[in-house]
Order: sequence, then C-alpha cells, then structure tokens
Amino acid sequence: MEKPRIVEELKPFFEPKGVAIIGATDKKGKVGNVIFENFKMNKEKGIFKGNIYPVNLKLDEIEGYKVYKNVREVPEDAELAVISIPAKFVPATMKDIAEKGIKAVVIITGGFGELGEEGKKMERDILQTAKENGIRIVGPNCVGIYAPDTGVDTVFLPENKMDRPSSGNIAFVTQSGAFAAAMLDWAAMAGIGISKMVSYGNKLDVDDADLMDYFIHDEQTKVVTLYIEGVKEGRKFIEAARRITAVKPVIALKSGKTEYGAKAASSHTGALAGADTIYDAVFKQTGILRAEDFEHMFDVAKAFAKCKLPKGDRVGIITDGGGAGVMASDAVAKFGLKMAELSKETIDFLKEKFPPHAVAGNPTDVVGDTDAQRYKYAIEAFVNDPNVDAIVIITLFQVPLLDEMELIDILAEYAQKSDKPIVAVAMGGKKTEYYAKILEDKGIPVYMTPERGVRAVAGLVQYAKYLEKLGE
Amino acid sequence: MKEEALEIINGVLAKGRKSLVEYEAKQVLKAYGLPLPEEKLAKSADEAIKYAEEIGYPVVLKLMSPQILHKSDARVVALKIKDADELRKKWEEIHENARKYRPDAEILGVLVAPMLKPGREVIIGVTEDPQFGHAVMFGLGGIFVEILKDVTFRIVPIEEKDAWAMIKNIKGYPILAGARGEEPADMKALVDMILKVSKLVDDLKDYLKEMDLNPVFVYNEGEGAMIVDARIILK
Repeated sequence: MEKPRIVEELKPFFEPKGVAIIGATDKKGKVGNVIFENFKMNKEKGIFKGNIYPVNLKLDEIEGYKVYKNVREVPEDAELAVISIPAKFVPATMKDIAEKGIKAVVIITGGFGELGEEGKKMERDILQTAKENGIRIVGPNCVGIYAPDTGVDTVFLPENKMDRPSSGNIAFVTQSGAFAAAMLDWAAMAGIGISKMVSYGNKLDVDDADLMDYFIHDEQTKVVTLYIEGVKEGRKFIEAARRITAVKPVIALKSGKTEYGAKAASSHTGALAGADTIYDAVFKQTGILRAEDFEHMFDVAKAFAKCKLPKGDRVGIITDGGGAGVMASDAVAKFGLKMAELSKETIDFLKEKFPPHAVAGNPTDVVGDTDAQRYKYAIEAFVNDPNVDAIVIITLFQVPLLDEMELIDILAEYAQKSDKPIVAVAMGGKKTEYYAKILEDKGIPVYMTPERGVRAVAGLVQYAKYLEKLGE
Repeated sequence: MKEEALEIINGVLAKGRKSLVEYEAKQVLKAYGLPLPEEKLAKSADEAIKYAEEIGYPVVLKLMSPQILHKSDARVVALKIKDADELRKKWEEIHENARKYRPDAEILGVLVAPMLKPGREVIIGVTEDPQFGHAVMFGLGGIFVEILKDVTFRIVPIEEKDAWAMIKNIKGYPILAGARGEEPADMKALVDMILKVSKLVDDLKDYLKEMDLNPVFVYNEGEGAMIVDARIILK
C-alpha cells in the first residue's frame, strides 16, 4: 500500500530528531517543567533519541540544558515544537515556528475556542499560519502525545502522580485530556501496552480521521481505540474509518448518548434521529466496533492485540468450575455467539482421557480435582475440532492439584500454535492476579469474569464478520 | 431521474413552500422508480369520478393542501368509496372539513387512489445529520416506530449489504422474516427501495431536509411493496 502524505506529516510527532519545548521552565510542577522532565528522563534512559531544546525568554539554562530565547534560534534538527505558554502568545510563536521551518506542533495550552470569540480568533490565526506553512497541529487544549517506544511524552501529569503504560500494540486516540491521563494511568496498572496515545483536545487541525490514516501504516499498532466526543467532518471520518477497518480493527467509545434530534424535526424520521443513533449507523457502516464503556473498549482491544481472528462464531468453553461454565454459556447467548457442537472425535477423545466425573462436552468441565494435563487434553481436542472457532478457557487457579505454571505454559503453547483465538478467564484475588499477569505476558488475554471474556470474543467475531462481508 | 425530481422541487420552492404535499412527494419518488399505487390528482368531483372508474372502485380520496400536512387530524381522507354517489358525497365532506380545519387552506386538488390490500407496515425515512450528512431510516410501522422506536439508520450512500443489515438489525425482524407461521415478507423489495431512496437522497441532498415514506406496505415474498403515504420537507 502506498503511504499517503499524512504518514510523513505526522511522523515528527512520534519520532522527532529534535524537540523544541516552548515554555520549558525549572519551576517544579509547572506544565512546561513536567514536559521538559519527561523528555529529559526518557533521554537519560536512552528511549528518547532526539535532542531537547528548551525555549524560554527568561532563562539561560535548565538542569544543564541550554535554553533558547526564541524558537527561531534552536538548531536545525528540531522537528517538533511543544507549546505550553499562555494562549495570547501562541499566534506570534506560531509565526516563529513557521519561520524556523518546524512542521509539527503540539499546543498544550488551553483557553482558545472553548472560551469564546477572542479565543476563536486566535485559533483561526494559528490555523492560518499552519495552513500557509504546511504545519500540522495537535491540540490546542490537550495533553498531546505519548509514545513509549520513542520516548515522546507531552503528558503534563508528572511521573510520580501518573504511571505510564508500557509499549504494546494498542493505539489510543482521545479528545479529552483528563480521560487520556486517567486511562494511561489505568492501562499501566492493568498491564495494557500502548503503541501511541494522542489527545487532540480542540482538534483545530489533526483529527480522528488523520490519525486513523496514520495508524494504517504504523506497524506497531495492531488495533486502534478511539474516545470520541464529537466528529466535526463526518464524511472525512467515514472515509478514513473505512480505509483502516479494512486492515485493522477500530474500537470506539462515544460519549454523550443523549438525544437531540427531537427538538426541531418536522418529520417522523427527524424526530427519531438522535445523535447517538446516527453514530451507531456510522460505526456499523464503517466496521468500527462500538464499546459500551471504557472497560469494554480495552477488553476487546486486548483481545485484538493478542489473538488471531476467528473463522466463525462457534465458541468452545473449558472450565474447572461448573458455575463459571454456565456464566460463560449465558454470555455466549447474550452476545449473539453460538455454543460449538463438539465433534464426535472430540467427545470420544475426552471421554477416554478423563476420569468419569469430568464432563466431556461444551462446556467441558475438567472439574475441581484437575491437573494441568487434563486441561491439556481439553485444549488439544478443542484446537483440533473443526466445529470450534474460538476457545474460552476458564481457570480457577485456586483448585488444589493444578500446577499453575504448567498450565500457563500449556496455554501459551497452544495460543501460539493454534490458528484459533484463545482467551482465558481467571476469577479470584491477589494470587490469581499474579498468575493472570504472567499469562498475559505470554500473549493470552485474561479476563476477570466469564462475561467479559466472552464479550471480548464477540468483538473478534464481529470484526471477522465485517471483513468477510467486505471481501464478498 | 434527477431532472424530473428537480422540476417538481423547484416548482414547490418557487411558490415559497418548504414542504411537498403527498402528491408532489410521490412524483419525486416516482422519478426514482419507487413503487407507488396508480393515483391521480382530480380538480373536480366529475374528474374524480372519471379517475375512480379508470382505477376501479373501491377508491380513496385524499385532499391535497400545503396548509394541511396532517390529513387524518383534519379529516380530509375518505376510505373505501364504493361508487360515484358516495364519491360525490365524500368530495363535499372532505372539502367542508378542510375549510373548518384551516379556512385559508389552499386546495391543490384531491388524490384519487385505489384501496390497497393491507400488508405489513414499515417506514422508510430520511434525515440530515449536521456532521455526517443524510441518513436513511428503516423500521416497522405503527406502534413499533411510535412507541418502541425500533428503527435503524445508515448514512447515504448505502450499499446493498448495508440495506440488508438495516432490515435484519431491527428487533422486529422476525415479523418480516415470518413469525407465527406467516410467510416471509418481500425483503428484496425493501432492499431495493432503500437503495433507490439512497440514490434519490444522494442526488437531491442539497435540497432535501427530511422525508417520510410512512406507511409502506410490504407484501409476501415475490409480491413487492407499495408506498401508501409520503412526505418531503425541503431545506
């Protein structure tokens, strides 16, 4: 696929040779200080490979770094400018940036379009400078970029207050800065790996559609998650969404489910068309999966990041607890999936290998006295059964005879060699969380409840079906 | 297609109106090949009788006035008219009702239509979203749309697979598929209609604000569908 211009245009946001930090300061806790510290720390760790150029009219030096009075004076390799100075100075600074020839700008500063006519006028000036000089802008009024692999981190919430997630395959795009910060912090805790995070705030320039086009070509990104408050250019959004979903899954969380349509409609249809129903239509038509909430979005994203796509919607369930198996079966029906009808070979094989009190069926219940080997028989049979498209394995690690690490290695082995998606469900407390973490590190998504595990599989199935229809 | 439709739309706009009466709306739909009953606009009772004989009794009379968009509220529709005598009587009655409802109502004529055999009722509509543009709506008619709001939307232009998904997406789909021993409805005819509406909207998007085809009768598989009433509102 030929790379569109947007890929080159957005590249400096994620891997700049040099970054000018306009408004960098030595005053602890100030936005310009946190951003500077982020880059400095990442450079010291060897993650950020570029050069750092603090810009501040009043300082000569910050922590050993030479400070430039004006962005026009920074060395030529500066490719990205990050602005955190007050709004009223930004239009003039944009002109300096244009003169310098920097083509990528993150405007962290707030107080523009969201604050009335004066701010809107400044935004128009900024945008005009950008358009005339081929500059792309993320923001204003945003937290900007977080790219763990290249060390770009404009998130102005300090490391000691907000953890950063590790590197992974999930791209995260959000309008809201607060949501970005909360989500990054949570993702770090949940062990969810991020490829790139972009918070675009007022999206004066770069928007969801641009980023979707960029992520098509970003090899590290396997799945894109979007948190959307509103789309400005609907047609552009639809076209970009169609392009990316043909190659990568996109999951969207759209806030503001309240209806507005009824207010001024003179027809039946007008009265029934709420903003939300229209978004639903857009997502369905473009193959974007719609998440109910935050948890749903990342549950599904995690499955895409780690699993293969299923060939159908028939789910096989393996459990060591009867109740959990029933919960999973209920969820299969609830999310519109089918319970696989196991082949005779599978049933015969399991009956031969199992003690009489274990249940060969769907769900297959290896029961509470199971060891890892019994799980292995079940997984082996399900992987080989042509009637099974996706496998949900419920492991209550608490059962006495189960060697947890042995089971983890078996799961990892089959997840690797099978062409079917395998997700795990592990319910429990601290010890379970410990093993779940190991399991996830070995490439199997783990969910706290059967319902969440099955819902994640439903996301995989929905996208696989979309691709299948697309190919028809 | 587009030229014929635009001629009607421009005619309405030239009169300073923003909404098309049923007769005009149906002319626009006809230009795009949507399924409509054989109907004629009569200017006098004599003319109506002549048309009724061509169509065949029983017939329906619907009085067309730009000032009366809710015809049943104004009681200007007369159903199941059996013969010329009854037609003449109903002609007077609906004109009288129109005058009572809106003394200033301009009357464009009376639509003489056949009594259609009832089918399963669906609604196909159009609305414009400020961000995404025009969208087509599909749902089952009657209480399903009024109370349960069991409808689904897709953004124009709509592809065939989207049109099928619309029909299968609604909760009341089993009613169309044939619940309780009924024969399945002619869903292919509905898909065809949705695609034609999508084409119409794509062509006329600069003019069109909202549209309702409500109700549409859909018959059993192979027997097609028919638009009973239609409304178009311009920008």
